[in-house]
This record gives sequence, structure tokens and C-alpha cells, in this order.
Amino acid sequence: MILIIGGLASGKRDYVRQLGYEDNLIADGILDDRPVLYNLQDLLFSDPESGPELYQALLEKEVVVCQEVGSGVIPVTAHDRAAREAVGRLCNHLAREADLVVRMVCGLPVILKGRGS
Amino acid sequence: MTGGSAAGKSTFAEELALSFPPPHYYIATMRITDVEARRKVTRHQQMRQGGGFLTLEKPDNLDRLVLDQPGTALLECLCNLTANEMFDEEGRIQDVYDKISYGLEHLERQCKHLIVVTNEVGSDGIPYPAGTQAYIRLLGRINRHLAARYDVVAELIAGIPTLLKGQLP
Repeated sequence: MILIIGGLASGKRDYVRQLGYEDNLIADGILDDRPVLYNLQDLLFSDPESGPELYQALLEKEVVVCQEVGSGVIPVTAHDRAAREAVGRLCNHLAREADLVVRMVCGLPVILKGRGS
Repeated sequence: MTGGSAAGKSTFAEELALSFPPPHYYIATMRITDVEARRKVTRHQQMRQGGGFLTLEKPDNLDRLVLDQPGTALLECLCNLTANEMFDEEGRIQDVYDKISYGLEHLERQCKHLIVVTNEVGSDGIPYPAGTQAYIRLLGRINRHLAARYDVVAELIAGIPTLLKGQLP
């Protein structure tokens, strides 16, 4: 599994396309049988408790893409705080199992773990 | 040690602190004001259980902290300390840059090794009210000041330590 993280509009989706995945293989914020899951954070903002059950399903994916949401001011609502924590924690777990972890910065892939192509 | 929320900073910082010689002081800065804070503190206490840390609750006035003997200290975290010092009980803003800097220097002098955990709070691009903006700016300023002086600076990203300055031991 490849984990791709990064801020909003940092170039995550372009990087997925560069890996050879056409848009029809990219599931946007929904867990189905497509090999790429994009916008993982949306799933956790819908249900902050869902991290543990998502984890196993995500390990089966070829690519998981998640927006980084933890580098700002602590959110006002308890729901948003819980979701933000859940996103960070699930990404830590996924990164541990991933073959490749990439963080996008200004459209540039920064390899945090493994070897990029 | 910087990074966003739940990026793995605590786990990594605690392991790193324990790799240095004892005594190991854990300087906890969170002020327990509600159930959520209590839960967070409990989670961190459980993570540290059996690790051999001496926990010192110090939500403010770091300049008055006295360690029994020199050792390794882990301060967690600067973001809480800054908020606690900056906003008084009525939510008014105090200029506490000098006070916090002095407190940290006071702590540095008493430690052989010091690890400070901070937070990235300035990267969500949301325009906040003046008080919150002042907080983001102050924490950023303290982070810059420490990063310029300290030996090692690392950012935790998805649990992976990424070196920004120096070398980890």
C-alpha cells in the first residue's frame, strides 16, 4: 500500500495519476472496490470513531490518499477535534504498514518511507 | 519536536527521552479544565506508565520550576504552555514571549538533555479572530527562536520523524 498525504491542493491527486491510476480507479471519499481511496479524511469527519474498522480495509488498497488536517488551530467543536485526531492517528498506523509514504509539498513528492519510482 | 495533531510526537519524544540518562522528567503543561482534557491527560499517562518518568504538572510559570537533580526533561507541550500563559482568566491577552523564553532558559540550565514538544498551528490557512492570530504568531515566534538555538529539530509526519536540523542520537 502507498500512503500519500499533504495539505489542500498540494498535488496529491496529480501524483496518483503519475503513478498510473486513471480517474475511474480513484474512489473519492467512499470505500468501494476501486484500488485508490482519495480524501480519507472525509470518511473520518463523517464518523470520527470509524478509524479502527477502516484500517483493515485500507490495508487492502493499492493507494490511500489523505489530506493533512492537523497543522492548524485546535477546532472549536468536539466533533472536529475528534475527527482531526482520528485522521492523524489512522495515518500513523497506515504509515507503519505502508511500503511507500509520500508527502506532497508544492506539488513535489517528499518520500518519508520507502523508495519512490 | 514539532508536527500536527496526532502526528506521533509524544510517542517518539518519549522514546527519545528515555534513551538519554535518568532521571527522566516529564513536564506536563496541559491544564485540566474539562472531561476532554482529562481524557487526553489520562491517555498520555497510560502511554507513559512504567516508563520511569517523574511527572511534574506545570501548566504555567516554568520560570519557577526546580528540578531535584540534572537529567533529561521532556516538556509537553509548548502549545499548551503558551496558551496558558498568554490568555488570563478573562481571556485577555498578555505579552508573554519574554516570560516563556526566560522559563525555557531556566529549564535548560537545569537539564543535561531537554526535548520540547511543540505544534504546527499555522498551516490551516483560516483567518482567525485577533486573539487566535496573536497566539499563532507567538507560538511561531517561540518555535523559530528555539529551532535557531537547539541542536536537533524534527517534524513528525504520520508517525515518521523527519529531520529539519541536526542529527538524532
